[in-house]
Amino acid sequence: MIDSIISIQHLAKKFGSFQAVSDINIQVNRGDVYGFLGPNGAGKSTTMRCMLSLIKPDAGKISLFGLPLASNRTAILSRVGSLIEKPDFYKYLSAYRNLDLFSRISGAPSTKKEIYQMLDFVGLSGREKDQVSGFSHGMRQRLGIAQTLLHNPDLIVLDEPTTGLDPQGIIDMRHLILRLKNEQNKTIIFSSHNLSEVEIICNRMVIIHQGKSIVEGNVKDLLNEEDQIIRIQTHTDSLAKALNVLSHFPQTNVRTIGSDTIEFNMQKEQIPALNNQLVAAGVPVYSIESKRKLEDYFINLIAS
Amino acid sequence: MIFFHSTRNELIKIALKPRSYLGLAAITGLVGIILFALVADGMTVISFVTASFEQTLRFEGKVLNGNLVAFIILQMLIIQIPLLVALVTGDLISGEAAMGTLRMLLTKPITRTQLLMSKFLAGGIYTFLIVLWLGFMAVGIGRYLFGPGDLMVLNSDGLVILQEGDIMWRYICAFCVAFLALFTISSLSICLSCFSDNSIGPIVATMAIILFFTIINALDVPVFDPISPLLFTTHMAAWRSFFEDPVPWQQIKQSSLVLIVHNILFIGISIFTFNRKDITV
Repeated sequence: MIDSIISIQHLAKKFGSFQAVSDINIQVNRGDVYGFLGPNGAGKSTTMRCMLSLIKPDAGKISLFGLPLASNRTAILSRVGSLIEKPDFYKYLSAYRNLDLFSRISGAPSTKKEIYQMLDFVGLSGREKDQVSGFSHGMRQRLGIAQTLLHNPDLIVLDEPTTGLDPQGIIDMRHLILRLKNEQNKTIIFSSHNLSEVEIICNRMVIIHQGKSIVEGNVKDLLNEEDQIIRIQTHTDSLAKALNVLSHFPQTNVRTIGSDTIEFNMQKEQIPALNNQLVAAGVPVYSIESKRKLEDYFINLIAS
Repeated sequence: MIFFHSTRNELIKIALKPRSYLGLAAITGLVGIILFALVADGMTVISFVTASFEQTLRFEGKVLNGNLVAFIILQMLIIQIPLLVALVTGDLISGEAAMGTLRMLLTKPITRTQLLMSKFLAGGIYTFLIVLWLGFMAVGIGRYLFGPGDLMVLNSDGLVILQEGDIMWRYICAFCVAFLALFTISSLSICLSCFSDNSIGPIVATMAIILFFTIINALDVPVFDPISPLLFTTHMAAWRSFFEDPVPWQQIKQSSLVLIVHNILFIGISIFTFNRKDITV
């Protein structure tokens, strides 16, 4: 039986004349690592803020753990750990004191031992008594994760947690998210504007654009399509010959780009055979690129 | 229980924030300067006041005593204390919004009203400590340095002389009413803090409102007569009434009522605003 953790229907929110979110529909199930994908300003953070009752939506229904958020806010939030946008702490307080303050209003205050264990878990052992003002962005991000996990929430909401991290920090964050899913079976919502990141971490995803959920589903189903966009670059003089070879293969949407490039849709299994035929026909192949349709669509979204 | 934890958190934040000690340091410094001036040249200052009465009255005993010194200090400092209170309380919501910690707090299972009320309570406790410190510095240190004695107070009605044994209860009551007045400043600044996402704005706005209302009071123009008694600034100096003889209890009750109504109003506006605020920063 699929256990619904989050259900959002027709969410809308306007700030003045700016329509931040106009029609968001998502469904997150227990154990999902759910990716919120979209360019900057798409409405990811607004949706997450609505989900945590930081922002009151103008329209739509939000339910978490099967309960309407509006009438069960505190009961729901006691089961949620979140890190929205960037980890902000009291800079004049120590890492330990910050976690202690947040844990006391999380519904289940943590003991000193638990806080120290959590700081150790996120790699801040030995820095417990240091003021947060002296922490790097990466360290604050780790402290933010510690704050998120301290009360052992069922649902974890992370808004672009890898932003501003160095490459090692990004890898560590990915490992941490996968550990939370694999070892503790947490449900995690993770927003990003990086498709490959979502592909590595998430099992389900939604693409949000201009305040609307455009595509939602399993990451594998959405990204591992058989039919891909293929682009072949050859010599100008060989373009006609290449088109002739291509006509013997099952393909669609053939179009030429400039004087030396052909783009078309084709199943990826056909690519080796096509390459062999082109070489056999004496067509010089400078490059063959394959792109997934969704990836191409998303790149265009980012570019626009 | 979560309200208790939240109030405890707020007190810890105030206690560990360096800005909170500005008020205590300022009171210590200012009272220290006044005490030094009175020790060095106090009789010259007093003789200015007593000179006009010397043809009709003869002063015996120690006129410049701890009780008079405390009264002088209170008169001089009660104008500055609201700024010191607003400096901390005006920051309680907007400062957290500017730091981003308000966003973190509001993702926790505490209601917005609980969080707000814990801030009002913590602000009240801080204000109480400021008043307590002022009392200790003015009355405690004043009496220690200048000794006890009868209190001579110059009111608009004339000169009032209060016996030494009749003074301490007046100071205690005066500090209670002064606390109520300063708590009104605290409530106003927290209320303004709910409308802002930067920490300086509510502090400046609080002082601007106090200044504006004080000018309206001071103008003494008939057109302002109907509204003047309703302004909280009119009743900020109600503590002074305890040093009249007889004590104008009705006037004190009225002033206290106006201040309490203002507090309820500011807290009500804050709850209404804060519960509808979208946290976008």
